[in-house]
Amino acid sequence: MAKVEKPRVEYPLATQTGVLGAAVLALWGVLGYFGSEGSYQEQNRDPFQIAAQSARLEGFREAVAEDAILGYLTDAAPGSEVSDSMFMAAQYTLAPRLVVKETNDKKTNYQQVLGNFTRPADFAEIGRQHGLSLQRDFGNGVVLYRSDAR
Amino acid sequence: MAGLLAILLAVALGCALVLRFANLTSLQPRWAAALVIFGSGTALGIGLTSILFLVALLLIPGLPSLAMWVEIAVLAWISYDLYRRRNSAPTSESRSQFPWNLALMAALALAMALVIGAMSVAWENNPQGNWDAWAIWNLRARFLAAGGSLAHRAWSPMLGFTHPEYPLLTSAFVARAWTYGYTLSAAVPIAVSCLFFLALISLATGGMAAWHSRPLGLLLGLSLAATPTLVHVVPDQYADVPLACYFTGALMLALLERPVLAGLLAGLAAWTKDEGLLFAAIFLAAATIFRRQQFLRLLAGSALGGGVAILFKTILARGNASLLGASLPLLGHHLSDPSRYRQVIVAMGAQFTGMASGWYHPILPALALAIALRFDVQRRRDVLFCSTVALLLFGGYFFVYIITPNDLTWQLQTSLSRLYVQIWPVVLLAIWTALRSPESTAIVQVGTAKARKKAKA
Repeated sequence: MAKVEKPRVEYPLATQTGVLGAAVLALWGVLGYFGSEGSYQEQNRDPFQIAAQSARLEGFREAVAEDAILGYLTDAAPGSEVSDSMFMAAQYTLAPRLVVKETNDKKTNYQQVLGNFTRPADFAEIGRQHGLSLQRDFGNGVVLYRSDAR
Repeated sequence: MAGLLAILLAVALGCALVLRFANLTSLQPRWAAALVIFGSGTALGIGLTSILFLVALLLIPGLPSLAMWVEIAVLAWISYDLYRRRNSAPTSESRSQFPWNLALMAALALAMALVIGAMSVAWENNPQGNWDAWAIWNLRARFLAAGGSLAHRAWSPMLGFTHPEYPLLTSAFVARAWTYGYTLSAAVPIAVSCLFFLALISLATGGMAAWHSRPLGLLLGLSLAATPTLVHVVPDQYADVPLACYFTGALMLALLERPVLAGLLAGLAAWTKDEGLLFAAIFLAAATIFRRQQFLRLLAGSALGGGVAILFKTILARGNASLLGASLPLLGHHLSDPSRYRQVIVAMGAQFTGMASGWYHPILPALALAIALRFDVQRRRDVLFCSTVALLLFGGYFFVYIITPNDLTWQLQTSLSRLYVQIWPVVLLAIWTALRSPESTAIVQVGTAKARKKAKA
């Protein structure tokens, strides 16, 4: 009786080339990502300074009740990236306190207002122009105002 | 640490649920079954526990940890049930093995190690993620984690710049882990985004390996891990990678004939982001044509996540303007403006070419396989199902750009790359379903040594 051998399986060169080519290409892509991502991240460390904003607003956060709804006053140019990132970072850091950007910046609807400034100034005078009295200055351009209307 | 344990609880619960109810252990090979169980279990566990947490928060706000005890009880019951039903391991596979499977596995493991290693630099430098993470998703998680009436601030119309109308899957899940762990640690959203990425790769790799071909499954995972725009966005902690995971999982599980689980993931896509609602509608519409026998079970599965998303939008967040509602006043003008079509087509083309990193473009592995293996005509219905979903999704995104009330240039610049992150795994899956498997090209020589010598002579 003839001895039957184990079937021999072979793959066409096209199959081998395709599988090998796809795997090598993908690994090339991964290596490229690995090489570039580290330097990209080093150059873009905390681009919106969330960590710095958290530290800057820490005192304010501790002084204001968790359920507070706060008005917002800033000297940053409206619509600028600085203005938007300062506001959103403040909202994130202070949550669950709610910070509300009001459309009429000459009059607030809220009893307490967060003053979030980019540079030193006479914050009490700025507050007076908006019907607010300075309640506490936390330093670094962060102040708590109280509305004079209530 | 406690927050991470809360995440593990959700993953364990999801894996136990799919092990008990989805019959995934019957898939072959066993490593592929394990990957599908991990991927679908993670996606399901995160989605279900986010819903349970939010429902408990709304109905019994005074007991924020109640849902956790429900989860532990269900996990204990299912674990006991699985232990009682344990049976012998399924029979070993009989299909012929592609000889390079082990090498491909090693390549995938190496790729994942490199990708996760690169991500760790991002986690260290930007633990809070990118803009949308702290301005939308994790911000809303902070409101939800505060509990009581403060949780309602997560969908307050006063959150002007924060899309309070967006669905809450990722936010509620992060809040759940923060609440159970008594922490607001940045490690929680980092772990969630990484888990969704791992689940996506697991579902694609294991699902394709079990459904069609082992080497193709491994190459699909490898190709996804080698998509620069996809892996780059994982540390951003956005909801786009979770969404891609749900899209891919729903399609893969439908192909694997697990319609209820596929429907559940499609529904959870709707609970993740607005684009998920579009996907769920397209997925079900395509199923009415290409997977009629599965349709009712797909629909039943999708009812949970889809229903929660619709209830959230129509009841809780009803005071907030939706993109579609805001588009209506200028709809006719935008639809009849040819410059908008031109601008969107050009931007979409540029985004596709922009997916490249140096000389590498993530379409290259797919091209190499398509040229070498060519296409399989036997699975035409499955190919049409996946391709239809991918094309309609692409078309849907295109028309959202046409009608958007926002500045079109800004909208394209800030969102198009992330839409490609969502859709790219679906596109690759559609291509992979059409490919001929390497195993099918095998030339098998059977015969006696004598016959072979004769043939050679």
